[in-house]
Amino acid sequence: MFPTPIQKASGPTRLAYQIALPIALVIWLFPLIGVAVTSLRPASDLAAGNYFGVPSSIAFENYASVFRDSPIGWYILNSFKVTIPTVIGAVGLSCLTGFALAVYGFRANLWVFFAFVAGNFIPFQILMVPVRDLTLKAGLYDSTLGLVLFHVAFQTGFCTLFMRNFIKGMPFALIESARVEGVSEWQIFRHIVLPLMRPAIAALSVLVFTFVWNDYFWATVLVQGQHAMPVTAGLYALNGQWVAAWHLVSAGSIVAALPPVLMFFLMQRHFIAGLTLGATKG
Amino acid sequence: MAEVSLSNVKKDFGAISIIKGIDLEIKDGEFCVFVGPSGCGKSTLLRMIAGLEDISQGALRIGGRDMTKIGPSDRGVAMVFQSYALYPHMTVGENIGFGLRMTGHEKAEIAKRTAAAAKMLQLEPLLERKPGQLSGGQRQRVAIGRAIVRNPEVFLFDEPLSNLDASLRVQMRGEISRLHQDLGATMIYVTHDQVEAMTMADKIVVLSAGRIEQVGSPLELYHRPKNLFVAGFIGSPKMNFIPVDARPHNGGIEVTLPGGATLQLAGTLAAAGKMTLGLRPEHASATGAGDAVLPAKVQLAEHLGSETLFFVSLADGTEIAVKADGLAAERPGDTMQIGFPARACHLFDADGNAVLNGDLTR
Amino acid sequence: MQHDPQPAGFWKRNQMKIAPYVFFAPGALMFSIYVLIPIVQSIWISFQDWDGLGPKTWIGLANYVELLDDDTFYVALKNNLLWLGLYLLAIPMGLAAALFLNQNVWGIRLYKSMFFFPFVISQVVVGLMFTWFYAPDFGLFSQMIKWLTGSEVAILADERYVTYGIIVAGLWPQTAYCMILYLTGLNNLNSEQIEAARMDNARGWRLLRHVILPQLAPATFIAMVVTVIGALRSFDLVSIMTAGGPYGSSQVLSYFMYEQALSEYGYRMGYGAAIAVVLFLIMMVFITLFIVRMIAQERNR
Ligand SMILES: Nc1ncnc2c1ncn2[C@@H]1O[C@H](COP(=O)(O)OP(=O)(O)O)[C@@H](O)[C@H]1O
Ligand SMILES: [Mg+2]
Repeated sequence: MFPTPIQKASGPTRLAYQIALPIALVIWLFPLIGVAVTSLRPASDLAAGNYFGVPSSIAFENYASVFRDSPIGWYILNSFKVTIPTVIGAVGLSCLTGFALAVYGFRANLWVFFAFVAGNFIPFQILMVPVRDLTLKAGLYDSTLGLVLFHVAFQTGFCTLFMRNFIKGMPFALIESARVEGVSEWQIFRHIVLPLMRPAIAALSVLVFTFVWNDYFWATVLVQGQHAMPVTAGLYALNGQWVAAWHLVSAGSIVAALPPVLMFFLMQRHFIAGLTLGATKG
Repeated sequence: MAEVSLSNVKKDFGAISIIKGIDLEIKDGEFCVFVGPSGCGKSTLLRMIAGLEDISQGALRIGGRDMTKIGPSDRGVAMVFQSYALYPHMTVGENIGFGLRMTGHEKAEIAKRTAAAAKMLQLEPLLERKPGQLSGGQRQRVAIGRAIVRNPEVFLFDEPLSNLDASLRVQMRGEISRLHQDLGATMIYVTHDQVEAMTMADKIVVLSAGRIEQVGSPLELYHRPKNLFVAGFIGSPKMNFIPVDARPHNGGIEVTLPGGATLQLAGTLAAAGKMTLGLRPEHASATGAGDAVLPAKVQLAEHLGSETLFFVSLADGTEIAVKADGLAAERPGDTMQIGFPARACHLFDADGNAVLNGDLTR
Repeated sequence: MQHDPQPAGFWKRNQMKIAPYVFFAPGALMFSIYVLIPIVQSIWISFQDWDGLGPKTWIGLANYVELLDDDTFYVALKNNLLWLGLYLLAIPMGLAAALFLNQNVWGIRLYKSMFFFPFVISQVVVGLMFTWFYAPDFGLFSQMIKWLTGSEVAILADERYVTYGIIVAGLWPQTAYCMILYLTGLNNLNSEQIEAARMDNARGWRLLRHVILPQLAPATFIAMVVTVIGALRSFDLVSIMTAGGPYGSSQVLSYFMYEQALSEYGYRMGYGAAIAVVLFLIMMVFITLFIVRMIAQERNR
């Protein structure tokens, strides 16, 4: 283990470490804590200039008001309408493509690999004009479906690489053994590979959920009106309305950030497994 | 009827030729072992028979039918993998029945056959477990069970015992042999371990670098190796190879051993030359009994209790191994008299081909 | 128990040839329609004059020529380089955080999760948080500056500091990301090697430099990739925090492109596409480097 375990250090060092941990955390999360506190500060405090002191009362009222007086609830619903189908679509498709790339020797395998990797890393802007045009022509502009289709396609690239590597890590003899037993290729996918992909599916689902939930660029490019707007773009729009009403902006921010945060806490292991794929040898 | 026949079978991976032309007939019900050093192409050849690798050239027939271009599922073969390849998310019972289920067999039929296989392999108490909860030997048996349920005509094994510890290996060796007797199916078994080959095979195929070196029964290969490779590969400890000068003499062969002693061998030789004399450690005499006797210096003595293995150096420095009685007392540095019995000696020409086999069965 | 239908003869005979394409087609189709083909289309559009609705007019390299004369383009390019350079700081900072947290004390898992938090939050929210943080009068940061120096600075309204201010906001989640990569790397270190090195009396900095860092190379590589890509992709924060201002001083290529193609400045799709192509080319340099390395790794497997 590196660095040397703190347990081996002297008493004062250990104590210093234990004290340093929470202090470092508070400094690190300072902006977040500030926003969280502000989101619970009554508007009167802000008006009175009490920006940093102890709030005069805990104002859950801010949250109620955000939901009551703004369409944020609707925006959140839209975000779910975009995110959940995307997760299902992208993860589903990439199970198939990942399987194809991992199990069969394509002649153009290397080029396909290249295309998927490059597709992952390109700047969105290079896609913006054509994708917007395509979505308009398909009559999907300003709809959640238009966003879903794009996100599914784009995330499929990343997910395919992930799935391919995951399946490559499985013993190939499992597949060969089934082939000798007369099991068809589809059955191999369905009954052998798919059940073993569960951890990868879980990891990708949380990752894609987070990525897509947090997407802002495409939400502004492919959506204009309120009725399809996801919460990221919606929050930005509300920020324009709530000029200097920081207690509301803060409450809205917290609300918008909450679903991926909850997802992260619930599925932490999978999340990190997905994110760090490739960060270790092998 | 499931004889397997390969004619001029070849395999290339890209530009590299891995299997360089194999002709082989395996009779119905025979236990045939492919043996050879690792990397020589045994697995590749087996996988070609299974249909997991394309055959680049040549033809494969199983039970008289041309299978060269047929997919693995239609060849009537079952394969047991070195890693067992058990499906980790299925129970033992599901593992065994999976192939049948996927190929549309009746539920009752699957249950019946699974039960029969489980009984045969003593897997009954384990049917509900997952592979992760089994020991190595149990996993091995499940893998075999999965092969048995399908009533294949040909069983293929790729180093099935190499992941087991030594004592379990001996036990499973016996079980597979018994299975062969019970089922009477053709079995092709790949191993790099010549002891496995010797103990299990009806027929051994010695492979090296993608070619067959020799085909024969275990004793044939032991007593009549065709070349230096087979001679060195079969038998443990390895056969000793001693450089000698050989010439025709009095209707036989005379060889000059290191240190100048000569040995008369039966047989004929066309021309004199430098050759290699082969003598197995168990045939050399540590007590000096033989047709030629050479002084040698003990370098190392391995006392195994039942026997002693001496590594000794001859006059020219050639090291040879000699098997002796368990009570032999010589120690490193001592001098011994090593006896060479003429009828146990093999002679190989400069190309490594046998000129003469010291066949003790004759 | 259900049986999958038995495949018909033709399928069965040819499934090894057909199956790969059947599995591959749906995803590949989607990816082509929405990613691969649009790249080509964008390059095509960059040679046109187009408002997004009317007919396109071929104008050759005119968009690019105009770009070379556009001052905002150079500001954006300069800022992108600044982003790239400073964003890389996330890697050593992430490593430092990971080393700090790689202990086995009570509650450390929660600490690790909390440190990782910024990455999970949408950049829109991060942008708003930092806007608030920097806000004059009541922003915490401004207050601290005021307390330290006596004078107030409106970071996001000051051409000198605005880009740095946004980059700091970007570094916050990016450092968290690098940290988690390194934590995983540290978790998978070969402990025998470390013990051997400790026996050889290597410790502290030397141990880190000669034994630990080489073992963390895969993590460093991934951190590099995501950080470079992240820096060049920076859009959300610029859009949220300043919309490129004040006076275009915090422009970056990605936002500049968006602004030209889709905002009140007019729908100049061709010009926007040309900017995107330039950004794409810059990115391709890095992508190619990464892929060459990935393929080399793949070969070594
Ligand atoms: N798919 C493949 N592509 C290229 N070379 C291969 C492939 N499979 C096996 N080989 C090569 O073929 C040779 C024989 O392999 P194998 O049949 O596995 O040997 P054995 O089972 O006798 O140890 C080895 O040198 C191996 O590297
Ligand atoms: Mg092998």
